[in-house]
Amino acid sequence: MGIVAVLWEKWREFRRDFYKITLAAVITPLMYLIVFGLGIQTTSHGEPYLNFLIPGIVALSTMTGSFSAVAQNMSVQRLYEKALDQVMVSPTPLWQFIMGQVIGGSLRGMYSGGIILLLTLPIRTGLVFNGFSVFIMFLNGTVFATMALVFSFLAKSYTDAPRFTAYIITPMSFLCNTFFSTDQMPRGIRQFVACLPLSQTSGMIRGISAGEYVGFRGIIVLLIYLAAFSLISVIFIYKKKTL
Amino acid sequence: MIELHDLTKKFEEFTAVDHLNLRIETGEFFGLLGPNGAGKTTTISMLSTVLLPTEGEIRIDGGKLDRKASAEKRKLSVITQEYSMRQDMTMDEVMEYQGRLYYMPKKEIKQKSDELLEFAGLIEYRHRVVRHLSGGMKRKLMVCRALMTEPEILLLDEPTAGMDAISRRQMWQLLRQLHSRNITILLTTHYIDEAQSLCDRVALIDKGRLDIIDTPQNLIDTLGAFAVDEIENDLLKSHYFPDRDEAIRYLSGAGQDASLRATTLEDVFVERIGKRLGPQGK
Repeated sequence: MGIVAVLWEKWREFRRDFYKITLAAVITPLMYLIVFGLGIQTTSHGEPYLNFLIPGIVALSTMTGSFSAVAQNMSVQRLYEKALDQVMVSPTPLWQFIMGQVIGGSLRGMYSGGIILLLTLPIRTGLVFNGFSVFIMFLNGTVFATMALVFSFLAKSYTDAPRFTAYIITPMSFLCNTFFSTDQMPRGIRQFVACLPLSQTSGMIRGISAGEYVGFRGIIVLLIYLAAFSLISVIFIYKKKTL
Repeated sequence: MIELHDLTKKFEEFTAVDHLNLRIETGEFFGLLGPNGAGKTTTISMLSTVLLPTEGEIRIDGGKLDRKASAEKRKLSVITQEYSMRQDMTMDEVMEYQGRLYYMPKKEIKQKSDELLEFAGLIEYRHRVVRHLSGGMKRKLMVCRALMTEPEILLLDEPTAGMDAISRRQMWQLLRQLHSRNITILLTTHYIDEAQSLCDRVALIDKGRLDIIDTPQNLIDTLGAFAVDEIENDLLKSHYFPDRDEAIRYLSGAGQDASLRATTLEDVFVERIGKRLGPQGK
């Protein structure tokens, strides 16, 4: 299976850059936890703010981990190394290449989110993380990995990848139910932000961690994003005249 | 067999390849020659499906080549002009990734990889990452990678660019060996002597259009097998003659600087393409 070949390539990359990847996954979320969660100690909805923050940071880390794993890798392969040519000419079906990138990217996102869970374990917040949380993290990772694929196909130069991060990922990191509840936003903006995938992921992981019932609405929203970005990626890789 | 039917590639207003029609027979060593910007690399990129044609189509043994055509793509291997490899992989990893993309069993990947790296004199560097290899080593690794999957058709885009004279000759020897195994080879090169030495037939293309196609010898014969070079007004001028006696007669009446030699494919290239490019091209 071509998917295995791509996953093997991503595993090699992970093993080779293990320390760099781990450090990059830890530093920013850890700063958020220290500054917002431990430095500025406060409460939210009658709970310690850290209990609100940790699920948001886990969702955020999953997003940035999976997005950067695919966006950087693909931009470099396509525009700088031209290594994508090796895949294009091979008999590996290109949908399998896409799927390998998405699964690999999502696993990297889960790794980033998992590190945050491990780091916050000693704090003893009483938050619950279970198999359902892991599933949501994986789904969130697949959404942002496919989004990264679309953006890396749109990128015209190597410097476009950080631009997409600045325009899309950074605003989402702060606004999508991560650091504060979207309930406090004006109505129109609130509805728009609530539809974004990270808002759904944060909400679901937070709901599970608090032991609340989590419906399927969020999963359906994530699946719609996943289907849309997957479709665009597949159209790009099969139909784009100049890759 | 490779067939290009009205193959056209446009980049907005610029036409890189313009209704190119070619038929390359199975087992043929075919050269695609042209000046910079003639459309050689664009043609190879369409054959490797990195670029899709604006018009026309490519057929491999009768089957249409596109990005979904796994059966046709399995027959192909490409050596691109650029070092199109993961720069952070080791040689071993580059070879293994190639094998995996072609569904080769792990044991076969290892065996084939050892054999090819040994053959190319790269075996002792197998754990070195691509980024730390010299240009010549990268080029050899690309050849090894392309041969890993035992292709029926080999597409070579400037395979000896940047190689020293010895490495070039080694590469020629290797290509001759591959040709003897009935592999179809499509070569683009700036070294016309390379095409003359290796190719069964060559096509000259200019501005994306086919100019002429024939065997190197037939193309040389269109000018004449013998050339007399002489300096006229500080410019080197070549005169071509179909037979030796005629050339010698001309030489005896020419100045002291004049010299007789065999006409080469490069002369054909310069006469046909250079004339269009003006005095600088010649």
